[in-house]
Amino acid sequence: MTRFIRLWLAIGWAGMLLLPWYAIDPSFWDPRWLSRYPDGGTASLLLQVLAQGRWWLAPAALALIAATPAAFLGTDDPRRARLLLWAGIAGMALLAAEGFAIDHRGWTLPGMSDLLGPGPKQPGMGYGALALSLSFLMLVSLGLAGRGVCRGDAFTVGSVALVIALVGVFVFWPIATILLSAVRDNAGNLAFGVFFEKFLDKSTWGLDCLYSQLRCGVAWNTLFLAVIVGAGSTLLGLAFALIATRTAFRFKGLLKVMSVLPIITPPFVIGLAIILLFGRSGAITALLYEWFGIPRSRWIYGLQGVALAQLLAFTPIAFLVLIGVVQGIAPSLEEASQTLRARGWKTFNTVTLPLMRPGIANAFLLGFVESMADFGNPLVLAGNYEVLATKIFFAVVGAAHDQGRAAVLAIILLGFTLAAFYAQHMWLGKKSYTTVTGKGDAGLPVPLPRGLRWLCYGVAIPWSLLTALMYVTIVLASFMVAVGRDHTLTLQHYQTGFSVEWTPHGLLFSGSAWNSLWTTLQISAVSAPLTAVIGLLTAYLLARQKFAGQRAFEFGTMLSFAIPGTVIGVSYILAFNVPPIELTGTGVILVICFIFRNMPVGVRAGIATLSQIDKSLDEASTTLGARSFTTVRRVVLPLLRPAMVSALVYSFVRAMTAVSAIIFLVSAQYNMATAYIVGRVEAGEYGLAIAYSTVLIVVMLAAILFIQLLVGERRLGRRPVPVAAPVIAAG
Amino acid sequence: MKRLMASVCLAAALFAAPAHAQATKELVVYCSVLNEWCTLMVQAFEKKTGVKVTMTQKGSGETVTQLRAEAANPRADIFYGGVGDQHMEAAEAGVTVEYKSPMLAELHPWARRQAEQSGFKSVGIYAGALGIIWNTEALAKKKLAEPKCWSDLVKSEYKDEIQMSNPSSSGTAYVALATLIQVMGEDKAFDYLKKLHANINQYTRSGPAPARNAARGETTMGVNFLHDGVAEAAGGFPIKVAAPCEGTGYEIGSMSIVKGGKNPENARLWYDWALTAEAQNLAKGAKSFQTPSNMKASAPEQMPKMESMKLIDYDFQKYGSGAERKRVITRWEKDVGSLPK
Amino acid sequence: MAKSAASVEFRHVFKRYGAVTAVNDVSFTIEPGTLVTLLGPSGCGKTTTLRLIAGLEMASEGQILIAGRDVTRLSAAERDVSMVFQSYALFPHMSVLDNVAYGPSVSGVPKAKAHAMAREKMALVGLKGYDDRLPSELSGGQQQRVAVARALVLEPQVLLFDEPLSNLDAKLRRRVREDIRDLQRALNLTVAYVTHDQQEALAVSDRVIVMANAVVAQSGPPRELYEEPASLFVADFIGDANIVPATLAEANGETATIQIGSIEKHLRHRGAKAGAVKVAIRPESLTLSTAKPNASALAGKLAKAAYLGTHMEYTVNTEVGELFIVDRAVERPYAAGADLFVSLADHGVTVIPA
Repeated sequence: MTRFIRLWLAIGWAGMLLLPWYAIDPSFWDPRWLSRYPDGGTASLLLQVLAQGRWWLAPAALALIAATPAAFLGTDDPRRARLLLWAGIAGMALLAAEGFAIDHRGWTLPGMSDLLGPGPKQPGMGYGALALSLSFLMLVSLGLAGRGVCRGDAFTVGSVALVIALVGVFVFWPIATILLSAVRDNAGNLAFGVFFEKFLDKSTWGLDCLYSQLRCGVAWNTLFLAVIVGAGSTLLGLAFALIATRTAFRFKGLLKVMSVLPIITPPFVIGLAIILLFGRSGAITALLYEWFGIPRSRWIYGLQGVALAQLLAFTPIAFLVLIGVVQGIAPSLEEASQTLRARGWKTFNTVTLPLMRPGIANAFLLGFVESMADFGNPLVLAGNYEVLATKIFFAVVGAAHDQGRAAVLAIILLGFTLAAFYAQHMWLGKKSYTTVTGKGDAGLPVPLPRGLRWLCYGVAIPWSLLTALMYVTIVLASFMVAVGRDHTLTLQHYQTGFSVEWTPHGLLFSGSAWNSLWTTLQISAVSAPLTAVIGLLTAYLLARQKFAGQRAFEFGTMLSFAIPGTVIGVSYILAFNVPPIELTGTGVILVICFIFRNMPVGVRAGIATLSQIDKSLDEASTTLGARSFTTVRRVVLPLLRPAMVSALVYSFVRAMTAVSAIIFLVSAQYNMATAYIVGRVEAGEYGLAIAYSTVLIVVMLAAILFIQLLVGERRLGRRPVPVAAPVIAAG
Repeated sequence: MKRLMASVCLAAALFAAPAHAQATKELVVYCSVLNEWCTLMVQAFEKKTGVKVTMTQKGSGETVTQLRAEAANPRADIFYGGVGDQHMEAAEAGVTVEYKSPMLAELHPWARRQAEQSGFKSVGIYAGALGIIWNTEALAKKKLAEPKCWSDLVKSEYKDEIQMSNPSSSGTAYVALATLIQVMGEDKAFDYLKKLHANINQYTRSGPAPARNAARGETTMGVNFLHDGVAEAAGGFPIKVAAPCEGTGYEIGSMSIVKGGKNPENARLWYDWALTAEAQNLAKGAKSFQTPSNMKASAPEQMPKMESMKLIDYDFQKYGSGAERKRVITRWEKDVGSLPK
Repeated sequence: MAKSAASVEFRHVFKRYGAVTAVNDVSFTIEPGTLVTLLGPSGCGKTTTLRLIAGLEMASEGQILIAGRDVTRLSAAERDVSMVFQSYALFPHMSVLDNVAYGPSVSGVPKAKAHAMAREKMALVGLKGYDDRLPSELSGGQQQRVAVARALVLEPQVLLFDEPLSNLDAKLRRRVREDIRDLQRALNLTVAYVTHDQQEALAVSDRVIVMANAVVAQSGPPRELYEEPASLFVADFIGDANIVPATLAEANGETATIQIGSIEKHLRHRGAKAGAVKVAIRPESLTLSTAKPNASALAGKLAKAAYLGTHMEYTVNTEVGELFIVDRAVERPYAAGADLFVSLADHGVTVIPA
C-alpha cells in the first residue's frame, strides 16, 4: 500500500509541478505546445500561481503538500489513513470550488465580482488538473482502504471511487443540468407552474381516442407502442430461442443469423427497407396491386409501420437474452416434472415457462425501453402517429425551440422506463430462478410439445424470410441508380462514397464518405473497449463487493441508457461547453458519450455472468496473495469472456449506429457515419445512404468476427461453472 | 478534473482536443444548406483566401439549438444557410451580431429587406418560393387535374393525396401558414387549413419530405419549397411544380455572424465573399436550385423565374418574431392539427 | 518448512451485518503447530470466524493477531494465510499445475520456480503426473488434494479448511481427514478447520472450539468436551446425550450426591448449586438388564429397538423420561415391549453446570 500511496502522490506532484494545468490549444497530443512551454497557456499549477498570479489555485496545492507526509508514515500508523482521507477530500473540494467559481468569462456567481473585484478568468482544465484530481481521488481511496473499508482492498475502493466520480461527472451532472430546465421558463427563471402546465398538457395525456375520433396524447401513444414492441419482440425472440435450443430444425444456424442480423443495421435502414417494400410504391405493394388488384395505400405509415420496424430491430436483443436463459434451464427439472406424469404441454407450462421468467422479463424490459428511446424508425415511418422520442427531438430543434418542454417530455419518458424497471422487479419477486448449480446436469432437454413446435416454426420462418427479404432489398437498392424509379444496376453510389484513386502520392481516398467512416471506426474502436472495461468493472463492483449506496450506484449507471439520445446530446453541450470541463468539438466528447450511454449493457452482461461464477474462486485467489487487480486479471476476466464479447460487440455496434445522441456532438473534424447518412436521407440521396449502410453492415460483421477471435473462447472443461451465459440481462 | 479522465485512456488513440480556432487563418462555419453546396463553398473560400475552414453541416433548427446551447462559449463563427426565420430566431436570442456588408448594394431588394428587418444581424443569400409539387405519373394514373392554385388543393378528389410538413417541427410549414394568412387573412386561412386537413395524408416532420415522397410516389402532391421539387425533377423523377395563382410566400435563406466567435475578421471575410455572384453561382453545381440574392448571379434555368410568379409582400419582421410564431403554431395545433382524420 | 508455525489470536472480535451479529465477542487462541476445529451447527458463525482469520471478512470490532502481529485491518492478500474452500474453488480455466502454481506466480516468482514449487507440493499430496489436467477432469477426492496442494504451496503461517470433506463420500472422508492430520503433523502447521460434523472434529483436532449463536460455547481438547460439556448445547452437540432432570442434594468438596429418579450417584458437581439440575448421560453409559441388578436402577419399558451391525440402539421409557441407549451386545437383543431395568455406569454421566 505504501507503494501506491507514493505512486499517487508522485502523480499529484507531477500534475502540480510539470504538466500544463489548463487545456492546451489545440491539443495536448499535438506536440507544438512544447516549444511554448511553460508560458501562460502551458504553465503548471505552480507557475500559474507564482508567475501568472492565479492565486486561487494555491489552496489545492497546499492540500497535496499536506498529504505528502503520508508517504513516510508506517502502515500501522493510524495517522496515515486519516491524513490521506482528509487531505484528499479537501483537495477535491478546493479544486471543484475554484473550477466552478471562475470560468472563461470571470466569476460565475454575480455577487462575487462585487465582493472580490472583477477579473480572474481561466480556461478549461487540462492534464495537470486531471493528474491532481485523480491523485486526490486515489489518496482518499487509499485512506479509506487503510481504515478497512472494502476489506482494506485499495483496488476495490479506488475502482468504486473512480466509477462513482465518472458516473457523477458524465451522467448525473449533464442530466441534472438539462432536467433542471424543465422547471425553468424561457427566460431561465425557476417556475414550477410552467413545469406542471407542460407536464399536464393535453397533447401529452389526452385520452380522446377512447371516445372520439381525435388522437390520444403522445405519452399514451408511446406507451402503447412500447408495450406492443416489448411483448412482440419477446414472443418472437422466444420462438427463435426455443427452436435454437429445443428442436432438431435443420436450418437452425441460418435462422439464428437471420434473427440477429438486424442488430448490426444502422438506423433508418430498416425503416427505408420497409418503405421500399410496403410503401405506396413499394415492391410488394406493386405486386399485390398487379396480381390481386389490391389498391395501393399508405397503410404502412403509422403505428403498424413503426411497430414492424421496431420488432425487426429489437427481436435480436430479446433472442439473445432468452437463448441464454433457455439453455440454462436444468433439463433434470423438466425430467422431474415428466416423471411426475406431467405431459409435454403441462411440463412446458408449469416448469419450463415459469423458469424462463427472468429471461422473459428482461427481454420485455429491453424491448420496451428501446422502443421508447428509438428515434430513427418513428421518424421515417410514424406518419401521423406521434411518439415521445421524436416529439422531444422536435421540441428541441423544431420551430418552437422549447428545451423546457423537451425536458418535461424526457421526464415522462424516464418515468415510464423506471416504472417498467420497478414492475419487472415486482414480478420476478424473490423467487429463486437458479437453475445452474455447480453440479453437472446429465439430463436431456425435453423436446417441445408438438403444437408449440409448429407454432414456433410458423412464427419464426416467415419472420426470417421477411428479414431476409429486407436485406436483399437493401443490398439490391444500394446497386440501383434511383431506387423506386430507375432500377438499372450501377456502382455509382459506392463510387461517390468510397472511391479510391491511385495518385502519384499514393492512395487517395477520394470518396465523400471515407472521412466519416474513418472517424466512426476510430471513435467506435476506442470507445468499445473502454465501455467494456468500465461496464465489466462496474459489474464486478456491483456483484462482488459490498459498499454503502450500492443500489443508488446501480441505478445511476442505468440512467443514461433510459434517457433519449437527443436529451443526452443537448445535456452534454450544456455541461461540457464551458470550463472547468470543456470538451465540445472534440473526439473525446463522442467517446465519453458512447461509453456512458452503452456501459449499462456491459454492466448487465457482466452481472449475469458473474452471478454464475462461484465467489470462492475470487476468494481463493485473494488468500493466495493475489490483490484484487491480479484476481480480476487472472481469474475473473478469463471467466468473463462471453460477457466481454457481448459487451465489446454491443458497444461497438451501438457506437457505429447511434444517431440521436450524436447529432449535437459531431463537429467538422469528428463527423460520424450515421450523421452523414441522415444528411444523405435529408437530401433525398437514398442510394448513397443505403450503400453507406451496407458498407457499415459489412464493417460491423467483420468487427464482430475480429472481436470473437481476439477475446477467444472460455476454457472451462465441463464442471464447476455453467457454460451458458446470457448475453444481456437487465434488471 | 477530467477533460481528461477519458483522454488519459485515449492517449494511444491520439485524439486532437477541441478545434479552438486561433485568431490566425481559421474559420468555423455551421452550414445549413445541402452538404455538397457547403463543401463547394468551403473549398472555393479556402482556395481564394487561404483561411482554413472547419465546416459542420446540420439542419437550421439543430444549428440554432446548438448556437443557443453553446452561447456561453461559442464554437462557430458563421451560421450559413437555412430558413430566414431561424436566423431571425437566432438574432432574437442574441447569439448573432450585427454586420453591414459592403456587398449589400449588389443584392436583390428582398435580400436587403431581410437584412434591415433583422437589424443587420442576418442577410439573405438566396430565396425559394413556396408552392405545390406533384408526381405527374401518379396524377395521371388517378386521372386527376394538375393543381394550379391554393384553392385547388381543397378539392374533394384530392382526398388523402397531399402532404405538407408539420408546422410544429418544420420551418417550411410555418412559411406556408404565414403565407396563407397573408394571402387570405388569418381566420379565412384557418378555415382553409381545416378543409385542407381532410386532403392531407401526412404532416411530415421535415420540410423537404413532401417533395421527396412525391418523387417516389409515396404521395401524389405536396406543399413544399419549389426548389426541392426541382431538385427531384433534376434527379430524374416525374415531378412538376407550380407557384399558386393566388400568390405565394417565400423563404429567404440567410446568413449570420455568430456572437463571440473566435475569428470575427475571417467571419466578415466569408460574409462579404458569400454575397458575391461568384460564390452564389456555386449552388447550381450542388443540385440546389434556389434563386441567388446577388443581382449579378445567374438564377438556375430549371427553376421557375421569381419574376414570373405572383409573390406576396412577405412580412419577415412580423412572422419572424418568436411570439408571433408561437401564437400561429399554437393556433394551428389547436384548430387544425388536433382535428380527427 | 522454512517458516515456523504461527499462533492465531482473537480478542473480543465482533462481526455485524446490519442488525445481525454473526460473531459476538469471540476470543480464543490457536497455539502454533496445532489443529483446531471450529465446530457448530450451520449459522453459528464458525465459517465467518474462519473468513475473519483469512481476511475475507473484516471485523467490526476487536483485534485479530497472527503470530503476535495485529492483522485486523490487513486485506486477505497481505496475510500469510491460505485456505481450502468447501467447493475447492479451483480455477476452471487453468490446468492443475497452474492452479497450484498460482500463489507463487502472482507474487512474482519466476514461472519455472513456481512450477517446481507446485510439483513438490503435488507430490506431497500424491498428485504427481497430473500437471496438465483440467480440474473438471479429476475426481472429487483428487480435486480436494489439488486444493490442499495449492493452499500449501506458499508455506503459509496458517492454513484454513472450510468444511473440506463435505463433498466427499463417507469412505473417502475418513481417509482424507487422516491425510490432513498427518500432513499437519508432518509439516508442523497451524490449522483452523471448520466443520459441522462432531465426529470429524473429535477425530482430527488438538482442540475444538464449539460455537453456537455467534458465541463460543466451549473450547478444549476433544476428550474434555465430550466428557465434561459446559452446557446442554455442547453435551447434546458433541456425541449423543440423554439430558435428564436430577436433584443435587449436598456438595462435599468436588463431588456431590445427585438423585436421578430412583438412582443416587456421586458425581463431580462442577459448580452447580443445590436443587434441580440437569445431567447428561451418554447412551453407551446406560446398561440394560431383564433382572433388577443389585445396584440401583431405573425400571422402564423398551419402546424401540434397532439393529446396526456393530451395535443395537434402544429407546426406553423410564420415570426420568425417554432414554436412548447403545448396546454392544448384538448377539442377544431385547424385543420391543419388554420390561427392563436401566443402570448407570460410573463414566459418561455428567452434571451440567449451567
